[in-house]
Order: sequence, then structure tokens, then C-alpha cells
Amino acid sequence: MRREDGLENKIQKISYTDRFYSVFLQNSFVNCNMKILIIEDEREIAQSIQAYFKTNGIQCETAENYNLSLTKIDSYDYDCILLDLMLPDGDGFDILKELKSKNKTEGVIIISAKENLETRLEGFNLGADDFLTKPFHLAELLVRMQALIRRKNFKGSNSIVFNEIVVEIFSKTVTVNDTKLDLTKKELDLLLFLIGNENKVLSKSAIAEHLSGDMADMLDNHDFIYAHIKNLKKKLTQAGSGDYIKTIYGLGYKWENE
Amino acid sequence: MNNKKLLHKTTNSFLMYAVIILMTAAPVFYYICQWLYIYETDEVLLFHKGDFIKQSHQNYTADDIAAWNKYNQNITIVADMGVRKDSIVGKMLFEPEANEEEPFRILYAPVDINGKRYTYIEKRNLVEMEGMVFSVAAMFLFIIMILLTGIIWISKRLAATIWKPFYNTLSQIQDFEIDKNNPPHFISTDIDEFYRLNKSLERLIEKNTAIYKSQREFVENAAHELQTPLALFQTKIDTLQQLDLTREQSELVTSLNNDVSRINRLNKNLLLLSKIDNGIYPEQEIIVLNDYIEKHLDFFTEQAQPKNLTITTNLSNTLSIKGNKALAEVLLNNLFLNAIRHNVKNGVIEIVTEDSALKFINTGPEIPLTEQTIFNRFSKVNPSSQGNGLGLAIIKKICDISHWDIRYSFNNNLHIFELTF
Repeated sequence: MRREDGLENKIQKISYTDRFYSVFLQNSFVNCNMKILIIEDEREIAQSIQAYFKTNGIQCETAENYNLSLTKIDSYDYDCILLDLMLPDGDGFDILKELKSKNKTEGVIIISAKENLETRLEGFNLGADDFLTKPFHLAELLVRMQALIRRKNFKGSNSIVFNEIVVEIFSKTVTVNDTKLDLTKKELDLLLFLIGNENKVLSKSAIAEHLSGDMADMLDNHDFIYAHIKNLKKKLTQAGSGDYIKTIYGLGYKWENE
Repeated sequence: MNNKKLLHKTTNSFLMYAVIILMTAAPVFYYICQWLYIYETDEVLLFHKGDFIKQSHQNYTADDIAAWNKYNQNITIVADMGVRKDSIVGKMLFEPEANEEEPFRILYAPVDINGKRYTYIEKRNLVEMEGMVFSVAAMFLFIIMILLTGIIWISKRLAATIWKPFYNTLSQIQDFEIDKNNPPHFISTDIDEFYRLNKSLERLIEKNTAIYKSQREFVENAAHELQTPLALFQTKIDTLQQLDLTREQSELVTSLNNDVSRINRLNKNLLLLSKIDNGIYPEQEIIVLNDYIEKHLDFFTEQAQPKNLTITTNLSNTLSIKGNKALAEVLLNNLFLNAIRHNVKNGVIEIVTEDSALKFINTGPEIPLTEQTIFNRFSKVNPSSQGNGLGLAIIKKICDISHWDIRYSFNNNLHIFELTF
């Protein structure tokens, strides 16, 4: 359960807002130039993230311990840092303090196996921007990261354009060839999740967990996403958009340029 | 149970013993007194006779004897009655002064006066003895009463003082619960046995609490430690499903995906249970359950969609309760999802608020569940169901620590979970 008490709501609100900012100027220019640092002692997790992000044009560097992380942070500027809290030779919180003391402005997403309110609060107090508990879906990490970078680099533009589809993040409106679509909150959320993970096969569980937020841990049935997918698909195609949502038999869905 | 208090047991035994001893002692005492008195009387009679002979009464003439007999009431000298040696008998004789028969001791002894044999008869009234026996009995009763009240009073006082540490220990042990953080504090005592008892209990409790704690921490640590391998598993599946898979491979990956999310759920639930156990949800606030239900009704309706369930609510009573908000929400989520998970196609769910109760009523398999076991961890009615057998255990746990009550009943083919506050 992610919810822990009233304070938790605040945190949830932060990450919920993130989801609305979910995607930043998709595939055009942001992803291509993104450079992130993965601080994670589990080499294989770091590699999986690296491989997953690479196809979306995100350049990942990895550091598996505290000292190496500090060296890398000192030498380069990153768009985003993924931070594991438990490192063999140090504490992830110390890295946050270090960033703060050096006035570094990198966005930080904590990815931690340890999950409790204190850790979260301390993370946020030390300047972390988001908190993701292990295990997580790579797709979820990707959209959270895009949302974070989008917020950090915000320069007046707040729309995501995918061919004929334009999503205005702040006004939460979607247009297809200038025709306004009437999407529910969930459908909008789903659309952003799909576009953010362009060309990736998304499992039903990844989509369901993204859509149900903090309730995700309790769901044992992910069938409810069919309806959302179906409705979104229908609304998009009816408005004249291309049919970008592909059903991958048995696995899930994929947002793919025709 | 007809258990007596330890103190009553010992007091009763003492009292019983005292009464029996005193009761048997009373007649024995009486007879000994009587015997002693008679013995002394007999001694006196023989002494008088010896005195009579020593005073040279042998010289008495027949006239002297007549005169003696005339002036001596108690001693008479009569013609030989054939008595060979001194003999003393007890006899009831009529006493003119008292106008009734009274007990006497009578000595018959042969005496020779002026060469002629006479019989010496002396009688002594024993009536004084009766008075003495009465006084003895009265004194005896008095002593018994003093003794008994003394015993009762002393044992009552002992109860208040000597057994105090024992009863203190007892009540603390009764209140002790290993999962609450309230180790007993025994009062110090100078009685060796109680001191040892307290010390042993302290050691026992300390040891068990430590074991219990490490067990609890083990669950939490194990659940935490599992998160990393689970993350590895999850990210690899995510990577795997990006590959160009055949249909068969896709199906395998999908089922792996389901498995990992199932393990993940189980792990999260274990973590939650151990967190509740470890008491990390202490904050209390006022929660309006209606608000939460109304706010999340959409979400649950969505979850109920695949089974085409009809959800109706009757939330006319406002349930405003005090408790931990996070836990109350987990409780409601679990109850709601439980009603969805174990429902049948086209079934119904009804949520009703009452004065201080909340009811989740749902259709489902038409067999009642057994209330005794459903709230146990890992007790699954349907082993193939996707549930992990922890949902109801979590519900129960939350109710227990929040002092709410959860009851299950089966009525008109409907499963009812009733939460009372």
C-alpha cells in the first residue's frame, strides 16, 4: 500500500500531477538529447533501464556506488538522476545533500526497495522530485522521468505533439487535426502513458498499475483497462486520427506510428 | 469453574484443623479435669482416714463413737460391715440442703478401735466440681473464639500484605499482550518465592518479546529484501516483451507478468501486515467513511465492470469515525475489492451505512464461508483464485488494532461483511 497517512496525500498529489505532465514533447527533440545518470548498485536493473531508454533516444550513464556517482555528478550535467537509496559505500540521501550543496538542478527520482513514509518525506525534503518503489515497470519510470524533465526544462511550451494529435498539458485538452476530443481523466492519462512509451509493448499490468495509482497494489484483475483502451481508440479514430494503438496478442498494447 | 482463592484454601484448612482439635480436646479436657478432681478427693478421703487413726481415736469408747457420729456429718464409724481394705466408691446421694441428689465419693475403710473392728465411712460432695467444669468450658469457648478470630484476622491481613505482589504479578500477566509494547513492571518483594517468580517471568517475557520482535522484523526485512529481486524480475520481463516474440512466447511472458505482479501484491500485503504489527500507524483522526466511498466509487465501479456487477449504495447515515486514515482506506479498499473478487457475473454489491455500522453485501458462491477461518492468513476458500489470502487477514488486523468489529454472515444467498465501530 502506498498510502500511509494524510501527509501521503500530498505526496500522491505531487506524483499525480506528474502523470499529467507525463510526456514531454515526445520523440521530437527532448528524448533525443536527454542524458541521465542511473545510480543503482544492482547492475542488471541499471542495464535494463539503460536498454529500455536507449531505444527512445535517451542516453544513460550508470554508477553503481556512492563515490563513482559523486565523480560523475561533478563532471557532467544530467537532465535527470535515478537514485537508489541503498548503495554499498554510502547513502543515497547523502548524494541528494551533495547535489543541493553544489547547487545542482538535476531532477531526481528515487527508486528504492525501502518504502515508508519517513523515507519518502526525507527524500522530498532533500530535494528529490519523485519516488518510485521497487519493483516498478520500466514504462512507468520512463513517463515519470519525461514528466520530471518536462517540468524542469519548461520554457513556455506545454504541449505534446504526435503527428495530428496535440495534447495541451495544462488545460488537459486533446485535439486531433484541431478537433477537440472529449476524453475522461483516465483516457487522457492512458493516452499520455501510451505516447510516452512509443514503440514499446506495454503489458496490461503496467497500464493497469499506472491508471490505478496507489490502488494498484491491490488489484488482481487488470481486465478493466480493455474498456479504456477501446474507448480511447474509438474516440481517436472517430476524430480522424491514425490508429496508433496496436494490440499485441496476449501481451498488451503498443503505441506505434503507422 | 468453582475455583477458590488460594488464601481461602489455606485459611479454611487452618480453621478446620483448629475446630477439630478444639472439639476433640474439649471432652478430653473435661474427663481429665474430672479424673484429677476425683483423684484429689480420694487422696483427701484417705488422708482424713489416716489422720483419724493417727489422732489415736483407737481409744474411743462406744459412747465416744456415738458422740462422734452425732457431731460429724461426713464421717461415721459404724459396726464392721465386712470391709477388708480401703475402698472408695462414687454414688449419688440425696442432699437435704439442695433438696436433690448430688454426686459423692464415699470411703469405706476398716478401723480397729479398742480392739474392736469398725468400718470408717467418709463421704465428700463433688458438687463443686460441676461449677468448675462449667467455668472451664466457658473459658475454653472464649479461647476458641479468640483463636478463630485471630486466625481469620491474621490471614486476612496476610492476604493484604504477603500476597499483594503475587496478585499484582497475576493481574499484570493477565493484561500482558506480546504484540503490544507494554512489558509488565512487577513490584519488588522481599518474599523469595515471589521474587523468583517475578524474575523468571521477566526473563520469559523479555526473551519471548525479543523472539517475537525479531520474527516480526524478519517478515518486514524479508519483504523488503524481496523487492530488489522482484524489480530485477519485472524489468527483465519488461525488456523481454519488447522483443519480437512468437505467440507462444508472448503467452508465456504474459503469464510471467501476472505471476510477478501476484508475488508483488503478496509481498506488499505482507509488508503492510508487518507494518501494522510493528505499530507504524499511530496517527488518529476523524474520518468520514461516506466521503471516501463516494469519492472512490467510480474506481470500484470500473473494477466491477468486467463482471458486470451492479453496485448500489445507501449512505444515508454518515459514518464519522476515529482511526488511522491510511488504515481505514486500506480496510475499505479491501472490503470493496473482496466483494468484487468473490462475486459472480452480473452479481450485485450493496453498501449500506447504519448508525455505527457499515455493511458490504454481495452475491457470490451460494455457500456460506466459515467465519472462524476466513480471517486467518492464507485461508483461501477458492485455492485457484487470484487473491493471496491476506485481504481478510488485513481487514481483521486493522479492525483489531482500531478496536472495531468485523463480522461475516450469510443470508438469502448473500455474503455480508458488517463493520461496527
